[in-house]
Amino acid sequence: MSGWLRRNGWVAALAFAFAALLVATKIIQPGFGASGLESLARAALPFAFATAAMAVVVIAGGIDLTVAAVMAVAGVTSAVLMRDWGVAGTVPAVIVVLALGAVIGAINGAAIVLSRAPDIVVTLAMMYVWQGMALLILNGPGGTATPWLREVILGGVPIPGLRWLPQAAVVLAFALALVWLPLKRSRPGLSLYAIGSDQTAAFRSGVAIGPTKVLAYAVSGLFAAMGGLTLTLSTGVGEPIPGPYLLAAVAAVVLGGVALTGGVGGILGPIIAVLILRLLRLDLTLLSVDPNVTTIIEGTIMAVVVMIGGLLAIRRKRA
Amino acid sequence: MGARTMRTFMQGVAGAALLAGLAGAAMAEGYTIGISNTVQGNGWREEMVCAMKAQALSSGLVDSLNIAHRNTDAAGQLEDIRNLIQAGVDAIVVNPSSADAINSAIAEATAAGIVVVAVDQAVSEASAYNISNDQEEYAYLGASWLFQQMGGEGPVVYMRGAAGAGADNDRDTGFQRALAENPGIRVAQEVFTGWQQDQGKQQMLDILASGIPVAGVWTSGIDNVIVDAFIESDVPLVPIVGADNAGFVGQLASVEGFVGAAVSNPGSIGGAGMTLALRILEGQVPEGQTLYVTPALWENVTEEGRAVIAAAQNPNLDPEWPVSVAIADWTTYSLDEIIACKGPGE
Repeated sequence: MSGWLRRNGWVAALAFAFAALLVATKIIQPGFGASGLESLARAALPFAFATAAMAVVVIAGGIDLTVAAVMAVAGVTSAVLMRDWGVAGTVPAVIVVLALGAVIGAINGAAIVLSRAPDIVVTLAMMYVWQGMALLILNGPGGTATPWLREVILGGVPIPGLRWLPQAAVVLAFALALVWLPLKRSRPGLSLYAIGSDQTAAFRSGVAIGPTKVLAYAVSGLFAAMGGLTLTLSTGVGEPIPGPYLLAAVAAVVLGGVALTGGVGGILGPIIAVLILRLLRLDLTLLSVDPNVTTIIEGTIMAVVVMIGGLLAIRRKRA
Repeated sequence: MGARTMRTFMQGVAGAALLAGLAGAAMAEGYTIGISNTVQGNGWREEMVCAMKAQALSSGLVDSLNIAHRNTDAAGQLEDIRNLIQAGVDAIVVNPSSADAINSAIAEATAAGIVVVAVDQAVSEASAYNISNDQEEYAYLGASWLFQQMGGEGPVVYMRGAAGAGADNDRDTGFQRALAENPGIRVAQEVFTGWQQDQGKQQMLDILASGIPVAGVWTSGIDNVIVDAFIESDVPLVPIVGADNAGFVGQLASVEGFVGAAVSNPGSIGGAGMTLALRILEGQVPEGQTLYVTPALWENVTEEGRAVIAAAQNPNLDPEWPVSVAIADWTTYSLDEIIACKGPGE
């Protein structure tokens, strides 16, 4: 236990901060309860998947600027497929969208490996490609979402005693764990950390850099597709214009303890960071803080927290 | 909790201000109204939010506003509306990012007894009230006038708003209707300005530099910079139809030899939405769920038109703000109050 705490001190601190913020929310708004948790979880869904998508490539030493654009492609594709294939075709539609996300991610990764250009340059260019693709699929908000699938992320878990637990949170945890846990424990998963930490050393230890990079981006694309799918499920339509998920994902990744230099961190920390940022927005709304001041407060808190993290890391190295 | 103390203090100030304002009047109802808007830093939207705040203050019925005003998508607006539900507001005035995408949160709000009024664009959720500018008619009115000025033939530059936005799609429907009625007109260039001034101006400069013939321009809300682009490129002006933004209306009055028209799309619809929400809270429920404010066209070709434009001028307004800062029967604030942009308790 103490070993885990030492290794995951930052995650534990974030979890504590989240808990403290929940208590503060309850004090500000005594009516805050199950419905508040539920709307928080639903609001966090697209941000959480975007953040997971970003975290995977950042751990592997890259950065993926296509995250929000891929979410838009997945969002409109799922809305169009669910409209055209109907209720019976919902499951195939979901499978196609997830596969499409992975393929798009793999294309991003392959473009980086083949061109040997920096990740940030290639994914910036590809961002425009996928943004255009989303508009090509649907030039305005449209399509539909199958009602039973929408209900999957709606309300509390229908088990007595667990009704306070939002289904959206369960879906999130399940989807992330299903992909991330087996990956992290596998050889390719270790390779992700290896190439993120030191590419030359990884290469000399026999890690196939190219395929590992493509894998990282494919997993990122898969998570982004899940995020796009949740957008369609929560709104009931597909939207071709990307939402504000790219920079929010970078912020949550950094806040979550993943080093932008690669090789360090996991998915849990960034996900808790997403929850903190969403809860912070709720609190600022509850306090009716001036909306122009809200973003300043959000940004300042992020900067301060990351700075504290940096200082702690320096102290740990000295000790 | 410092923030909590601050809030209590602010509420105290708000309450005191309200009491002072209503000295002698009946006891204040003291409503809390939520506002949700998803485009920040755009003159039209800023005027809309200021109209909401000024109207809330002017009504004397509101003691605090919870404002969610940021750049986000429909999913972000769902979050904002749910946060407003958590805050326990009495009514929500919302500029919806799309007609269908935020229905689930609106339904949750009305189920919780909150009055929801959508302004600018209508929403398809049946429990919400809508008060909006008729965007299809907006485009049809301006485009028809433009095509008539062009003599029913020639190349037109069609400058749209943001690709995929609901209002842009509605305007496109109106524009295409006018185009179908004028078979001699062809679209020489179709671009999306994204409702961004710099982007729209650059696009016009590029079109003029390319030398393709242009006989008229229809532009969706990005207008004064388009006139600037003609002047800077030293190209003779062609008829241009824009919106009633203060800068463009000023050009209609002052630029030598410029023929054009402004179609009104009042940002003050925000104030009308606030009034509608308060009327419903006070028990005056309208007959229909949807009310439209019809656009007006102000041209500088006829004497009458020039008189309307002269009357609408206001040097105190930001050039990106629409000049139609008030809507008769719906808004009660003064010009100074909307420019001050203060809500109850500020």
